[in-house]
Amino acid sequence: MSLESSAPIASHDPAHSTGCPEYQELSRRGFLGAASAVTFAAMTSPAWLPRVSLAKDYRGSQRDVMITIFLRGAADGLTMCVPFSENNYYTMRPVIGVPRPDSGAANRATDLGVSVPGPNGPTGFGLPPAMAALLPAFQSNQLLFVHAAGSTDPSRSHFDAQRFMEVGKPQDVSLVTGWLGRHLASTAPMQPGALLRAVGINSSLQRTLVGAPNTLPIPDLDTFGLTGSASTVASRTVPLLQMYTAAPDPLHSIGLDTFNTIDLLNTINFSGYAPVGGAVYPTNSFGTAMKSAAALIKAEVGVEAISIDVNGWDTHDNQGVTTGTMANLMNTLSATLAAFHRDMTAATAPTFSLVCMSEFGRRAAENGSAGTDHGHGNMMIVMGNAISGGRVLTQWPGLLPDQLYQGIDLQVTTDYRDIIAEIAATRLGNTDLATLFPGYTPTFRGVTV
Amino acid sequence: MSRVEADPLIVKTSQPLQSIPVPRPQRGARLSRRGLLTGLGVFAAARSAAQAEPPNDAPADVDPSSLLTKLVNRLTFGPNTAELALAASLGYQGYLEYQLNHTAINDDQCQARLAGLLTLTMTQQQHYEQSTAILSSELTDAAIIRATFSQRQLFERMVEFWTDHFNIDITKEPPNILKSVDDRDVIRANALGNFGTLLRASAHSPAMLTYLDNHTSTGTSPNENYAREIMELHSMGVDGGYTQADVLQVTRCFTGWGYENRIGFPTRGNFFYTASRHYNPAKTIFAGTPQQLDIPANLGQTDGDMVLTALINHPSTARYIAKKLSRYLLREDPSTALIDAVAAAYTTTGGDIKSMIRVILQPNLVAAAPLKYKRPFHLVVSSLRALPTTLNNGTGIRTQLANCGHRPFYWGTPDGYPDSLLYWQGLLIPRWNFGASLLNSNIAGVSIDYNSFFAGLTTAQQMADKVEQVMFSGDMYPADKTSLRDFLLPNNVTTTKKREALGVAIAAPSFQWY
Repeated sequence: MSLESSAPIASHDPAHSTGCPEYQELSRRGFLGAASAVTFAAMTSPAWLPRVSLAKDYRGSQRDVMITIFLRGAADGLTMCVPFSENNYYTMRPVIGVPRPDSGAANRATDLGVSVPGPNGPTGFGLPPAMAALLPAFQSNQLLFVHAAGSTDPSRSHFDAQRFMEVGKPQDVSLVTGWLGRHLASTAPMQPGALLRAVGINSSLQRTLVGAPNTLPIPDLDTFGLTGSASTVASRTVPLLQMYTAAPDPLHSIGLDTFNTIDLLNTINFSGYAPVGGAVYPTNSFGTAMKSAAALIKAEVGVEAISIDVNGWDTHDNQGVTTGTMANLMNTLSATLAAFHRDMTAATAPTFSLVCMSEFGRRAAENGSAGTDHGHGNMMIVMGNAISGGRVLTQWPGLLPDQLYQGIDLQVTTDYRDIIAEIAATRLGNTDLATLFPGYTPTFRGVTV
Repeated sequence: MSRVEADPLIVKTSQPLQSIPVPRPQRGARLSRRGLLTGLGVFAAARSAAQAEPPNDAPADVDPSSLLTKLVNRLTFGPNTAELALAASLGYQGYLEYQLNHTAINDDQCQARLAGLLTLTMTQQQHYEQSTAILSSELTDAAIIRATFSQRQLFERMVEFWTDHFNIDITKEPPNILKSVDDRDVIRANALGNFGTLLRASAHSPAMLTYLDNHTSTGTSPNENYAREIMELHSMGVDGGYTQADVLQVTRCFTGWGYENRIGFPTRGNFFYTASRHYNPAKTIFAGTPQQLDIPANLGQTDGDMVLTALINHPSTARYIAKKLSRYLLREDPSTALIDAVAAAYTTTGGDIKSMIRVILQPNLVAAAPLKYKRPFHLVVSSLRALPTTLNNGTGIRTQLANCGHRPFYWGTPDGYPDSLLYWQGLLIPRWNFGASLLNSNIAGVSIDYNSFFAGLTTAQQMADKVEQVMFSGDMYPADKTSLRDFLLPNNVTTTKKREALGVAIAAPSFQWY
């Protein structure tokens, strides 16, 4: 690889993309640093790595890359992390309840080996077979379940509940931006001059990320570029770049971010990316998205947040806990998270925090269709190098009728904002928690080590 | 100043999202004084317009031909030379009434294009003999062909609106085998008719009842999915004033509403009420409100009919439909005054859709409305409408729409594809690539006659003028036009360059708005 082919990635309109004059100055310095990093990268890096690394200060920043995974449709946390000591769980779910670990049933839960105090006595939790792939990460103490958690917003509307959870404030219809978008907008780039700070691996930018600078939705990181005749791509780019440079916002900013990102992602060979640690990602869309997310993070081009959706959790009908809809979803989720954990921790890589959440839980009792209706409290999965895992973090409220929210649903005893705020403060270097979660004073609950 | 600092991203007022002024490009210096402003000036103008209440009543300061162009943009999937000439000949009100009276518009040419799509006219029972792949592709291709070639453009726009409003995902079973009839007998049958009739038809639609699980709901084991969504999404809106108790009561009212699914039955796939699944005790809905509805025990299927009547007559429904329709046809931030006026039209006419449209599309409101961002389907169809297009089938267009995240009938959740700039603005690449692929003959089933488009033109300026006139109704951003002209320099360019110029025009910023 010759140095001539490794020119630093030039920003289209750096003044716009990186904001104020201080950033422009930083940006130039970033490019100088990049030039000196080229030789090292060319000699030692695997082939999929970018020809150019801008990553000089990245690891020294001591900030995690943040990954948020949203399970759209209200995932059933009472199936995904089973409170098997609650007798009423089995009374309310005669068909779809996951059998106790000591039941001898083929589809029984695997005991996580933890016991937390609860109103009905010590409470144990277990994973259904389709979630068992998470056990190694759990046993490595880098994966944490948070139970009876979620948004305190009372809505059982998917769309309102998702929105309020993603903006970070219940019932505030005036708040447009997402909590993660405001985090990025209120902090300097982890890597000075970064052209792409966050990605929503999706056709549309998730509300969580709205408001973030230098951030785009990208459905497929590997194919983000201009198609058509390869011999004319350069000439066709000229008028488009002129037009979007001159256009009013929002297309001005998004257009220039798009051009910058095409150049940036072209330096990374996603299809040739080789996971380490024996990690095997599922070949479906979520597995592919997380695999390319790992490649993007390891390429150290300055991306510091990635949001990914997993759709299809609205299981009103034939929930399919053991075989069927939900089992497939859980298998995909657990196998992918397990692969990501192996891939990111088997060898030195940028550190990460990952939070997996859903807009609300599902009704404690099953319905007549072997499914569940919309509920309230739920379970979250938190994973990362510095997550205090191997535990179920909960103030367990119990599942007897008078212990349920409105008599029908699991309570929310841990606000999801407590979990995220602690990660933001201790792992993302952002102590301005009032910006992330206006009007809310979070309680840190020992999520991080 | 950076983008983040410039945008009012956190708006600390009690205004709903729809009222937040979003800076939008205003095309066309001829349109209005406001149109002359650019950059922050547009933003300031949008702000002050939003603060002056009601903004929609500002006197029109427009010349008649550009107002007509705006109307054509509001009523169609994109203007072309013929449609603009038609509008010019009929005048504003004449053209609006022409499009509203859709059954009087001869649409034989479009009908002829649909002749090969045999499943469109089949019964539900015949659909059971078809593969779901055929049903899916023909339903989708029909939507593409009709949007592109139908003369009944407003009708097709309203079909798009109600298809989102009563969203059904055809990637799911059994809606995949039931949706084609829903499209024909529910959505298309009522798209410019009466909202109440439409809501009742949807409530009897096996595709909807199975999509939202009502067919499995029983008195002893209710499934709330349909009951919740018919209130939240189809009628009252999420803030319409119903409670969790109402969700359960409405669920009970609809128990037994399902469809015949026994193989071999001659009515398989038709709506079917199963009395044994119904919850018979008395029910009360909207308890303690002026709309309280007490339903005596043992009325059976009538329970659901009474609920539908209550929903249709509920003032929240009038306002919810008024606001959503105003956002779709006019602007993302309709004023309270407009919503009130449209809701009043709904109430006084008993849900007449045309009456609501007449209120929304008053000339002064159309003149003052900012441009809307084209959703991908609109971008694709407006391109096909503007250019000399041969469309043999939708095979490749379906893929293009999927790349954009906007393949018809493929939205998973019951809220339908979003109708907002914020949702769609981020992903430009597949929009750009659509333009390039279309003109590179890389989209199966469609071709563009770029030679005839540029016939007789030799200079870059002539060609840029032609593009502006035909694709942009004579109103392209100056920077877009300059860049396009420069792309076509030096004069006497190759055929490749000509077709690529049209691809670039589709990708141009000013083609993303309507």
